Amino acid sequence: MAVPVVCPGDILCAASEAIAGSGAHVEGEAIRASLVGSVRRVPADAAAPDQRPTIEVIRRGLQQGTPKPGDIITAKVVRINPRLAAVDVLCVGDIPLDTTFTGTIRRQDVRATEVDSVAIADSFRPGDLVRAEVLSLGDSRSYFLGTARNELGVVYARHSTSGQAMVAHSWQEMRCPETQAVEKRKVAKIAS
Amino acid sequence: MAAPGGEPASILVLQPLPESAPVGGQRVDGRSLENARDILLRTGLVSQAAGSSYVEFGDTKVMAAVYGPRPTDRREGFSQRGFLTVDVKLASFATRERGRVQQGPAEREMSEAVGTALRAAVLREHFPKAAVDVWVTVLEADGSEAAAATTAGALALADAGVPMRDLVAACSLARMEGGAVVVDPCGAEQAQQTASAMLAVMPSADLVTGAELQGQWTSQEAREAVVLALGGCRELAEAMQETLQEAAAEAAQ
Repeated sequence: MAVPVVCPGDILCAASEAIAGSGAHVEGEAIRASLVGSVRRVPADAAAPDQRPTIEVIRRGLQQGTPKPGDIITAKVVRINPRLAAVDVLCVGDIPLDTTFTGTIRRQDVRATEVDSVAIADSFRPGDLVRAEVLSLGDSRSYFLGTARNELGVVYARHSTSGQAMVAHSWQEMRCPETQAVEKRKVAKIAS
Repeated sequence: MAAPGGEPASILVLQPLPESAPVGGQRVDGRSLENARDILLRTGLVSQAAGSSYVEFGDTKVMAAVYGPRPTDRREGFSQRGFLTVDVKLASFATRERGRVQQGPAEREMSEAVGTALRAAVLREHFPKAAVDVWVTVLEADGSEAAAATTAGALALADAGVPMRDLVAACSLARMEGGAVVVDPCGAEQAQQTASAMLAVMPSADLVTGAELQGQWTSQEAREAVVLALGGCRELAEAMQETLQEAAAEAAQ
């Protein structure tokens, strides 16, 4: 069944009937589409205070976005110093970006506990792939990112001498499979 | 090659433009005063761009490509709203006489006008700290280039998935010798116009995002011109929606 396609500006419903989700916006009394795509109604959670459904416009193809606070991103560490790790944001969620955005993981945002004793060099190294959360838009130079959750942190790193991809050993250590040498990282706990 | 002391063997001479003031309600190309030319709208031609479009108003041919969102230069400072930059360029072969390679003042002015019209329609809060670039190339200029450029830019932005409040459709008018106001002037009419008007409209809400009037217009004449242009924009907007819907349906297969 062909789903009707809406264009930007098309009225989807009255603003009182639904919440505008992604791809839709409120204009006066109506919710209008912001993108070319098909309409989707998502019913509200049973527990939500606002029982109106969320109305979204889903666009086909990759939606190039920008990192927004709350997004989980994948980045590559470019440079470290004792205060922060500078990273290039490569993906937002599952979507790879066409251009890289600059991000910063500050020392106090690496983990949730004992933030004063964090050593950046024991958490990240240049070349590591890191999964992080966007904390804020940051300043004009970079987004502020944080890894203060179990599932955030280094997801891929090579050993500094052997060059082998390392395997997670604990939340603080990664081990080279060949030489068994251990290096310290803030490791992401990937659900198995 | 010129023979020494004699006349040049042959010189390519630009034919003068035909006298284009409408006679008895009929224009130089046979249209009535309110008829816009046949249009052609396509999207998705530039595969490297995030979105693109190709628009023809009669013989005026315009192509637009949208790139982004990309991070902004740090010198531009922090911004909660994204930037939208529009650049319009006439190809050197677009006009009857060969044009310049660099952007001239007329193109810069057109870029400003098209940029104003499109910026009002884009939801810039959805890409903070980022910029979206719209590059418009006029491949053949035969009148109403600014209107075609605005329309092509809006189609390309919609094709790129840049969040917009509404599409933008634009329509040009010209007043000719003798006072007749014609819709969608062709090149000959535009060159001989005594006054012009261009309107860019967000069709669903009938909101004007760009209006440019040049020459002498009384307020009554200006009101009539706006009504005429609004009608032209509405028809154009329907065609734009059809084009976008067909492209989305094709992509779905």
